[in-house]
Amino acid sequence: MTDKANESRRNFLYLAAGGLGGVAAAATAIPFVGSMFPAADTLAASKTEFDVTTVAPGQQVVILWQGKPVFVVHRTPELLKEVLGHDDMLKDKDSKAIPEVSQPWMNDENRAYRSIKPEYLVSSAVCTHLGCIPGFKPTAGRKDWGDSVPADWPGGWHCPCHGSKYDISGRVINGSPAPFNLHALPYKYKDDSVIVIG
Amino acid sequence: MLNTIMKTKVFAWVDRRTGAEALIKSQLTEYPAPKNLNYMWNFGSLALLVLVLQILTGIFLAMYYKPSAAFTYGHYTVAFDSVERIMRDVNFGWLIRYMHAVGASMFFVVVYMHIGRGLYYGSYKEPRELLWIIGVVILLIMQGAAFFGYLLPWGQMSFWGATVITNLFGALPVIGEYLQQLLRGGFSVGDPTLNRFFSLHYLFPLLLVAIVGGHIHALHVVHSNNPEGIDLSKDEEKIMFHPYYTIKDAFGVGVFLLFYCYFVFFQPHAWGFFLEVDNYIPANRLATPAHIAPVWYLTPWYTILRSFPDKLMGVVAMGGSLAILFALPFLDRSKVRSARYRPVFKQLVILFFIDVIILGYIGHSPVSPMLKLIGQFATAYYFAFFFLLLIVPKFEKTKPEPEGI
Repeated sequence: MTDKANESRRNFLYLAAGGLGGVAAAATAIPFVGSMFPAADTLAASKTEFDVTTVAPGQQVVILWQGKPVFVVHRTPELLKEVLGHDDMLKDKDSKAIPEVSQPWMNDENRAYRSIKPEYLVSSAVCTHLGCIPGFKPTAGRKDWGDSVPADWPGGWHCPCHGSKYDISGRVINGSPAPFNLHALPYKYKDDSVIVIG
Repeated sequence: MLNTIMKTKVFAWVDRRTGAEALIKSQLTEYPAPKNLNYMWNFGSLALLVLVLQILTGIFLAMYYKPSAAFTYGHYTVAFDSVERIMRDVNFGWLIRYMHAVGASMFFVVVYMHIGRGLYYGSYKEPRELLWIIGVVILLIMQGAAFFGYLLPWGQMSFWGATVITNLFGALPVIGEYLQQLLRGGFSVGDPTLNRFFSLHYLFPLLLVAIVGGHIHALHVVHSNNPEGIDLSKDEEKIMFHPYYTIKDAFGVGVFLLFYCYFVFFQPHAWGFFLEVDNYIPANRLATPAHIAPVWYLTPWYTILRSFPDKLMGVVAMGGSLAILFALPFLDRSKVRSARYRPVFKQLVILFFIDVIILGYIGHSPVSPMLKLIGQFATAYYFAFFFLLLIVPKFEKTKPEPEGI
């Protein structure tokens, strides 16, 4: 028995034993890491129902869906007018940059409004920059907001954290640190007034 | 493998700043161990493995467990519900909780084997007295951690177990009442008790890690005993820890994991020994379960408690039965360590092992006059064993020990 004769056999055994040990360790890690993902009851609570007609005209309500804030805005005819006419200020006017900003219910007609019924906007309230909730500044111009907004402010949201701006459809405005529009949500109308998110 | 790592530049950088190579070599890879260690010497490394498993599973359980006795719908409690949520809703929660619950019992299985090994081969004797004493401290902290942990599911056995044990402290004269209130944070076991037990249940394993470090350090100063119980002076009587005992310990781990996984996956309650059925009934402070007993690993001491007709005597005897372990190295003055060469001690120590098992069985069973009597005899022998060790060396004819191995 010489050391030389043993060397390659020994290395093979090291690798085989070590490799199997590694596989076993990885398999053991699965339940531990898996346990940190949302539990079944958390997943079961993943749908939210909300009666949008409870929101007064011109007002915004913030509700929770899966623990995350959601804007529900009752847009008056004046606010709906603000949706159009500033396409050159938007990073992604058609909400097509990433999958999350679009939804299957979006079509050419409602794409700019980003809602199933134009008067009720339902949108994620999480700023796509670093996750704050943008402040609601719905009216256009500086009349209500002073110089906290630019002179050509189209009306929408202004994030308190790092100054990202979104229009009244939740589309991000050029010059914002936020990269994308507010995420669109998978919701549908259960009846005339109640939506189901998720 | 380790040698390859130790040849890298990164390791050399670390080594210049920590002396890691010398430490690894002297304490692990080139640590000289007796060449004749048998499989009874596997339980130390197994205990370390179970400690790691308990801490790991415990950290993940604590992500979902909520220590509150506040009521929820249907007269359940937040704590009870959070445990059931772990079992039903949390991904792999059932697995992690069963690993933790079975692990608690396995911890005691391997530690009792480890202690029994130390007793049989005289590992508590000079120069290893302090090593043994540190070990007894570890045992006490383990029992504390297990007791605190058992309250957490806030079931019937949790609640009444904690009530009984905290009442034990109440039996002590003068300070008893205050000690009891200090433990409970109230006049009975309740929400404050649950909260502090959770805190302590998290603290004790951290203490264990530190003290186990001390235990291993103490071992590496005085070195391992061996089945012959003799001092080894010659180099050829020793072999390097790595690869010989790393491989042997790894094999032991494999066998142990088969045993452990059988219970985790197929018999997590172990017929009521590891997890008691009554503990799936939410804690009810208005009714005690018909049969109440601690988990198996505490039953020997529970029998000692029950064997005395006087409350204070029972409590003192139970405390004394654990405390006497500290004195063991100084009670037994025989120069011969291993039971292999001590015919009288061998019979006494084997009888002692059987005695502890009988005490455990009785503590787990409902009280009957017959069992109570047997328990009293067993308790008597438990203490007699330690005092017999004082006299045995005076007349015992030990067999000649070998010169070397």
